[in-house]
Amino acid sequence: MSEETVLMAQGLKKSYGKVRALRGVDLEVPRGAIFGYLGPNGAGKTTTIRCLLDLIRPDSGTVRVLGIDPQADPVAVQARTGYLPGELQVDPNMMVEGALRYFNALRGNKADWGFVRQLTERLDLPLKPPIKNLSHGNKQKVGVVQALMHRPKLLLLDEPTLGLDPLMQHEIYRLLREAQADGATVFFSSHIMSEVEAVAERVAIIRKGVIVEVAETASLINRALRRARIRFKQAVDITPLASLPGVTVLSQDDSTSVTLQVEGEMDALMKALTTFPVSDFETERPSLEEIFLAYYEDDQKEE
Amino acid sequence: MATVFRYTLRRFRGQILGWGIALALLAALIVGIYDSVADQQAQFEVLLESYPPELMAFFGADDVATSMFAPEGFVSAEFFSWMPIVIGIFAVLMGSGLLVGDEEKGTLDLILAHPLSRTLLFMGRLLAFVTATLGILFIVWLGFVVTMNWSTNMNIGWGRVCLPLLALLAELLLFGALALLLSMVLPSRRMAASVAGVVMVASFFITSLARIDERLETVAKLSPLNYYQSGEAIHGLNWQWVGGLLLVTMVFVLLAWWRFWRRDIRVGGEGGWRLPSFSRLRLRRGQSQRPPEPSLSARQRPSDRGEGGGKLRRRRQAVLLAV
Repeated sequence: MSEETVLMAQGLKKSYGKVRALRGVDLEVPRGAIFGYLGPNGAGKTTTIRCLLDLIRPDSGTVRVLGIDPQADPVAVQARTGYLPGELQVDPNMMVEGALRYFNALRGNKADWGFVRQLTERLDLPLKPPIKNLSHGNKQKVGVVQALMHRPKLLLLDEPTLGLDPLMQHEIYRLLREAQADGATVFFSSHIMSEVEAVAERVAIIRKGVIVEVAETASLINRALRRARIRFKQAVDITPLASLPGVTVLSQDDSTSVTLQVEGEMDALMKALTTFPVSDFETERPSLEEIFLAYYEDDQKEE
Repeated sequence: MATVFRYTLRRFRGQILGWGIALALLAALIVGIYDSVADQQAQFEVLLESYPPELMAFFGADDVATSMFAPEGFVSAEFFSWMPIVIGIFAVLMGSGLLVGDEEKGTLDLILAHPLSRTLLFMGRLLAFVTATLGILFIVWLGFVVTMNWSTNMNIGWGRVCLPLLALLAELLLFGALALLLSMVLPSRRMAASVAGVVMVASFFITSLARIDERLETVAKLSPLNYYQSGEAIHGLNWQWVGGLLLVTMVFVLLAWWRFWRRDIRVGGEGGWRLPSFSRLRLRRGQSQRPPEPSLSARQRPSDRGEGGGKLRRRRQAVLLAV
């Protein structure tokens, strides 16, 4: 493991009885990255993160967090890590401020309270009400603040924007970028692609306990399928287009318009189209969401 | 650990005051009643002698006519004899929920992600439990001491009232530790509390019945309440019994700690197990027949994919409108 790798997992396996939650996860997160961990519910995202913090013990495999084996020295890992659980629960009878002070006390009062106030103000989180009176979104903010407040070297966030409105989501993205600028590494899980697309530089896609893809977010989008919608001035026979390599007809509303899916480069299609009476041509890069759904669909076909 | 201790004890505050004050009032009432009972001792003796001796033996008042009207015998029969299963409810509920309560609520996950070893969390909470139990017994003791001051006949002395409370403490810690251990082994807090509660009540009955039926004496040797002196401790505490109970408590605590230190912290029931039941088996069969559920949120169903996401579809509709 190099100096620049903050988080490493090799052959990580974990079963709950008959359920095989992780079937050999390999992961490397470089220092200073914002790393997205993408997968549908139940793919093993939460299990991975909880293994990293020694909340659960993997059946086999190696884990290193900031160079430390979490099973050998969990406290050292936990002291350097900010964690937001996927299903955040805080003692409902505590006040927001009381809960934050309690979490801070558990960390030996490391956090600068001025920074905590700054965070709560930015997230518009009231300090006085008891946790039980908070909306889901506000509760989530408590979780975000406690994860960030001690300026950890590594942030492990399980679905950080869950239940937050779009404005707050963007505020969280800003906070994550600021943490990154401060030198922190951010590892966050999500099942919402637009979120990962918005903030992560690299992404790992997990499906059924196995990492199926690790790539730069941008390259993942570039590499994938594109979609082209073409309208023609008059009715045409599109067979020559459909037979091009890498081209599939997605839908044809009538003989004057067609939607195609193009794998790889557009060159062949563009050249073929010169012989057609094109009135309108529109292409769209797929969102990460669609790429992700492609992985997800393969998965369903397997079953 | 100090933080954990303080925080846990603060959560116990209501329990300490509730149990403590209620039982201290009961203690005061018993001291008060004793004054009037002692005045009419002769009539009561006649009444009690008419009861079947087995019944009196069951409640641990064999030579009732003589002992029951001594202050020690009275507080023993009226208070200390059944306190283990009364405050035992507190011990069992708190012991079983000491860690698993938070685990089931889901709050333990985040707490343990803090730089705090499991051992320290365990010790902090255990100490808070012991302190809370001591707190309850202290308030009860105060109830005795204050009312005995005013009483004309009850004159046990504040020091000697401590002794049966110490015997009681040993029992409570034992049942608390048992519940804690069971909560680490069994799948749910409720089950741990139920089993520990059943053990406690069974122990009470076995020990009581063994006084009537000699055949039960061998079994009763395994019953924790067999080593509970009740009010007799006023005459001198059986330190061997208290020591033995504390030793067993320590064993339970060590086993519970070992288990807690090694196990997975559950969220959402993963890693738990249940006793198989018919309804569960049926459910499982039903599940295997159901097609796999797409676990994405509704707007991201794969069926949308052919036409692209919502944005794409809207744009397409716009295109169609333009046509």
